[in-house]
Amino acid sequence: MATEGPSSSSAVVCNLAILDSLTDDSIRQIHDSYTGFCATTATLLTGAGDLSVGPEFIAHVHSLCHHGLHSLVRDHFLKSLEEIFEQNGASKFWRHFDAYTNFALLSKNQPPSYKDQMSEGRHPSDAERSHLFSRYQLLVSSVLMASLPRHFPEILHWYFKGRLEELSTIMGGEFNDDESQDKDEMDLDEKRKISYRTGEMDIDECSHQGRFLENNKLVKNIGKVVRDLRSLGFTSMTEDAYSSAIFLLLKAKVHDLAGDDYRSSVLESIKGWIQAVPLQFFRALLAYLGDSVSYDSPSSGLKSPLASHPSSCYPGIDTPSQGLVRWQLRLEYFAYETLQDLRIAKLFEIIVDYPDSSPAIEDLKQCLEYTGQHSKLVESFISALQYRLLTAGASTNDILHQYVSTIKALRTIDPAGVFLEAVGEPIRDYLRGRKDTIKCIVTMLTDGTGGNPNVSGNAGDSLLEELNRDEESQENTGSRNRRKVDILGMIVGIIGSKDQLVNEYRVMLAEKLLNKSDYDIDSEIRTLELLKAGVDIWHSLCCIRIFRLHFHVGTVILQIHFGENSMQKCEIMLNDLIDSKRTNSNIKATIAQTPLTGAEPGASAVSMDILDATIISSNFWPPIQDETLNVSEPVDNLLSDYAKRFNEIKTPRKLLWKKNLGTVKLELQFEDRAVQFTVAPVHAAIIMQFQDQTSWTSKNLAAAIGLPVDVLNRRINFWISKGILAESLGADSNDHVFTLMEGMVETNKNGGNSGSCEEILVGDDEGERSVASVEDQIRKEMTIYEKFIMGMLTNFGSMALDRIHNTLKMFCIADPPYDKSLQQLQSFLSGLVSEEKLELRDGMYFMKK
Amino acid sequence: MVDNCRASMIIEFPGLWHAVASWTWNAQDETCEICSMAFDGCCPDSKLPGDDCPLSNHAFHLHCILKWVNSQSSQAHCPMCRWEWQFKE
Repeated sequence: MATEGPSSSSAVVCNLAILDSLTDDSIRQIHDSYTGFCATTATLLTGAGDLSVGPEFIAHVHSLCHHGLHSLVRDHFLKSLEEIFEQNGASKFWRHFDAYTNFALLSKNQPPSYKDQMSEGRHPSDAERSHLFSRYQLLVSSVLMASLPRHFPEILHWYFKGRLEELSTIMGGEFNDDESQDKDEMDLDEKRKISYRTGEMDIDECSHQGRFLENNKLVKNIGKVVRDLRSLGFTSMTEDAYSSAIFLLLKAKVHDLAGDDYRSSVLESIKGWIQAVPLQFFRALLAYLGDSVSYDSPSSGLKSPLASHPSSCYPGIDTPSQGLVRWQLRLEYFAYETLQDLRIAKLFEIIVDYPDSSPAIEDLKQCLEYTGQHSKLVESFISALQYRLLTAGASTNDILHQYVSTIKALRTIDPAGVFLEAVGEPIRDYLRGRKDTIKCIVTMLTDGTGGNPNVSGNAGDSLLEELNRDEESQENTGSRNRRKVDILGMIVGIIGSKDQLVNEYRVMLAEKLLNKSDYDIDSEIRTLELLKAGVDIWHSLCCIRIFRLHFHVGTVILQIHFGENSMQKCEIMLNDLIDSKRTNSNIKATIAQTPLTGAEPGASAVSMDILDATIISSNFWPPIQDETLNVSEPVDNLLSDYAKRFNEIKTPRKLLWKKNLGTVKLELQFEDRAVQFTVAPVHAAIIMQFQDQTSWTSKNLAAAIGLPVDVLNRRINFWISKGILAESLGADSNDHVFTLMEGMVETNKNGGNSGSCEEILVGDDEGERSVASVEDQIRKEMTIYEKFIMGMLTNFGSMALDRIHNTLKMFCIADPPYDKSLQQLQSFLSGLVSEEKLELRDGMYFMKK
Repeated sequence: MVDNCRASMIIEFPGLWHAVASWTWNAQDETCEICSMAFDGCCPDSKLPGDDCPLSNHAFHLHCILKWVNSQSSQAHCPMCRWEWQFKE
């Protein structure tokens, strides 16, 4: 401080007069001092941190300054500083990063030590000092920039990432959990850095610490690094590094929180985390930097020109600053987008367990509302569908259930249904190409037991029941019927016409009713009512909007569409069951009055009590598979007696037995056990033949029962599989011998069954059905047109599919009119092609020559 | 053969034989000459077949023939043979 006055004045008054006043003595002195100065400068600068020559250096500087060689001293010092720094310091500085010692700031110690020495040695005025510093800083910054290694930004990035992760774990745990431990965790480099920082701070600003005691020490350290980097001129690089680190961390956090668990909502916790960690970090950082900047601002000349002034210097901590808000928005958008992308990528799985995964759907909905990237969802989901669902390996049932879940889930996200339409179209197109689609749809709609167990909350509920329940629960809200209509409409939309749906249902209903052994049809009545209401509502979508204002929708629509033809047939079928029950009890009552009306009274040992009958109005039922069957005599007598009594009650109506239909409950009693079965009449007829004769050849048995041998062989498998009968080769290789099994053998075969009375229900495991399927019916109906088609092709040579279709439409208007669809015709024609009656080339049909 | 002799089985019907039959009108014709619907079906005015849409004794849907009879101003004739209408005793 003592030399301050004279040196500064002599620096200003630098004129030739001074040269004149120089004595030899002083020249020698200057020369000596200068040499000494140069030597000590070199020693100081090269001997890292060796301050032993300090006093000597200071003496030389003093003497030179005394002689007014002030600027010379300064220039020389800076120049040699720059050279040496460029040679050693910078490379040394960067070399530390080469070794990936994460911010081993040892080399950073270099510049400040020079600084220290310089200020020590010079003690210049404030202005001069700041001027010197700015030159020094510019020098350092430009040298460093020029020699910036490529991986430096990466290192910065990793540094921030590491620090933020640390911060995140601290924030994640209790805030004041263990700061000491945290400190311990800091690596050696970090500590060294801190020590260096504090050293530097003594020069810049001393009383800075302790102001943000409430803030985490870690944040402060990061803040220091940021500020130092800024002062080195790496502002934008630093910002890039920490923002990318934060985004990376946020992304990892989102992935971590969201994961593969769709049963809970994660959006709130992600938002919470954003508040807790990154925003906390920014708040502290901005506050810290803002403070330091404002502290620095009087001497902002110190700043490197490369270090742009921070845009966010806000002293307040509690009031969210503009910069903070901006950061929050950026982070939240990023989080939404990340979560959205994550969910969209997994949307297929989410929808698979839809009712359980609704929180995830809800999250996705919010994300999409924020980002508006619905089209992304549509594209990705469609490709997932194509890849994973619409393949030959997926069962129609699965596809349908996924379709329904998709409708339900996307309804939540997009109530207007625009995207649902786009997503649903490929599924519908695909399903239309499958043969069993209608059947599966009807099963899903009406039969809860056969369906996928995870489709609804209550297992065993049909989709119609479920929709109905939803409707009832939404009774008071304005959007009544809406959901039901949507889902039903989209499902039935696959089929294209409700007649097809109802026809398929009729076949299924017939099958079910014919296999009933009691007259309990309550569930069928309910299903039909639901179906009727549902189909009607779907059918008159347009009407609903009009009537909704004034009427109770259900009743109005039902009245309008009550007389629907195929529905009416279903009703008649159900009514037949009700009538049968009444007639059955009436007939039983006549037995009580006139017990012995039969032709051979007392001939049959079995009483009428064991016989119940379902009497159907065959015109309204789907075509029934007719098979002749000779039942055993006692049963046959019972049947004719029953028919006679019916005829008496219902003159002039009479009964025609369909002996192959129905169910028979019987008990097989062996010496040591009894087994109960519920079987089809044909099985009963077979086993009853073995009562008197324990061994039959297949030909004889077939003749006795009145079945073709191949049918018998197929049907008898049931008893063989139960271990009741055994099959062996007879004398004739075509003739099999069936023998009643010894009880014991059977017991060994089915271990657990012995002794107990068990009831085994026979499903149609052999594909035997009482009712012709819709497909069979169509094929049957189509054969009428075979002659027409053959005639046409003989005349015209070759015809395309649509031409055949149109011609049939034009000419087959008489009974029965041609009313088949193009697809039905096509499948019929391809049947003819496979029978080698026709040939298909280039879309044209030919007669097979 | 020894095994076969020893094996014996009695079939009991503890439950029942639930048979299926279809009914039909015991008439010569199959369709009603008035509405040209099957007798086993029902006439256009009925919803349910069978008891709810009976045949008249002369093999028309009862509803059809009643409509016919009611539409005749004075003396009813048989719609088929134009013979005078007579109720069977």
